[in-house]
Amino acid sequence: MRRLTRRQRLAAAILAALALGFIGLDLGGTGLSSAHSGVRGALGSLYRGTDGVLGPLRRFAEAAPHAASDEQRLRELQQQNSQLRKQLADARTDHRTASTLRKLRLTASSLGYHVLPARVSALGSGQGFDWTATLSVGRADGVRAGQTVTDGYALVGRVLHADTSSSVVLLGVDPGSGVGARAVDSGQLGVVTGQGVDGYTFAPLDPHAKLRVGERLVSGAAGHSSIVAGLTIGTLRSVHTGTDGSTEADVSPQSSPTSLDLVGVIVETPAAAKLAGGR
Amino acid sequence: MTRSRVVAALAAMLTALLLQTTLIAALTMPVPVSLPAVTVAAIALVDGPGAGISYGFVAGLIADLASVHPAGVLALGWLGVGLACGLAANRVSLRRDVAVAALVCALVSGAVTLLLSMLPTDGATAGRVISDFVPTLLGDAALALVLVPIVRVFLRSGSLRSPHTTQAALLVRADR
Repeated sequence: MRRLTRRQRLAAAILAALALGFIGLDLGGTGLSSAHSGVRGALGSLYRGTDGVLGPLRRFAEAAPHAASDEQRLRELQQQNSQLRKQLADARTDHRTASTLRKLRLTASSLGYHVLPARVSALGSGQGFDWTATLSVGRADGVRAGQTVTDGYALVGRVLHADTSSSVVLLGVDPGSGVGARAVDSGQLGVVTGQGVDGYTFAPLDPHAKLRVGERLVSGAAGHSSIVAGLTIGTLRSVHTGTDGSTEADVSPQSSPTSLDLVGVIVETPAAAKLAGGR
Repeated sequence: MTRSRVVAALAAMLTALLLQTTLIAALTMPVPVSLPAVTVAAIALVDGPGAGISYGFVAGLIADLASVHPAGVLALGWLGVGLACGLAANRVSLRRDVAVAALVCALVSGAVTLLLSMLPTDGATAGRVISDFVPTLLGDAALALVLVPIVRVFLRSGSLRSPHTTQAALLVRADR
């Protein structure tokens, strides 16, 4: 253990007295406030400059102990995020379903039909197969072959055959499907034939009929058909004359065959109800 | 005292204060581990109590003026660090010097906290003195373990060597 020299003892005593004096002075009033602000100002800019260099290192070191828990938290948040996204998607689907159901109910009440809501559980997308859709309702629900299927406004197709709890619908756009139709503006009757994703082709019964692009086509009596009349099929996209001089028109479908979800089977028409009542 | 020693002391003081504010304080919060106090201790351990007292007082006063508590608190505390380490210096065993630096710094840190808790202008509480003692001791020891050898190398170099160092070393050996 060393000993202090006399000068060192004196210096230590003077400096200690000075420090105590500073404490008393600073507590007593504002004597050192300008010294405080001057040193803070000078060191403040140095602190900012140093922090610009050491800040990233400090943040890295501060974050390192929490890295594992942060990863866990990140996983939890990702899980929560995916659940919320699923809920949002479900809510959108529910909203769309509710809207379609509302449309189906409106159609049913305005036309006097009884429409049975059904969900499309499978879709045959052509490519060598028929354009068909499998519905979640069947004979037990009152579905019979030949009944019309609508999306609430437009024609979707007709029931091809019905099992106990499911049924298969031949879509209107199937190339083998022919439906009687009426052009709303010109009143021309004809037959629409399915063309897959391209929609339909409309061939009027009068080969020289004047058709207009944009004209709306609805299902209508033309030959023997079980399709309910008055359902929109689509609008005329283009009108052209065939090699034999007959008029034909390409039709854009009102109902997209590849985005079917909730549809309605028209299980009873007013005429059928009248017949059933008359029995 | 040579000009190069004054410049080196000022540079060490500023560097320690800047590193304390921007890095050490943030990483060791809420334990009051202090790099400037350990620097004072390391200088005093190599150069003796005279250098420790003067360096500790000036560094403490600058730190006081840059903070919100009354000026003089750290000046008095670090003056005490310089004095105690200068008197207890061994200069041969690094482990002993590191232990002395850590112990003195932790004790003075507790005393400063106690003093600040008695003053009306600071939010320090006396209860933290006990709970923070061991973590502060370990933190200061870790800093001293790095700093004491570095300060030894610098202060024993030709340009920064104290004119009294050789004489002081001889006196220490003669005491044994």
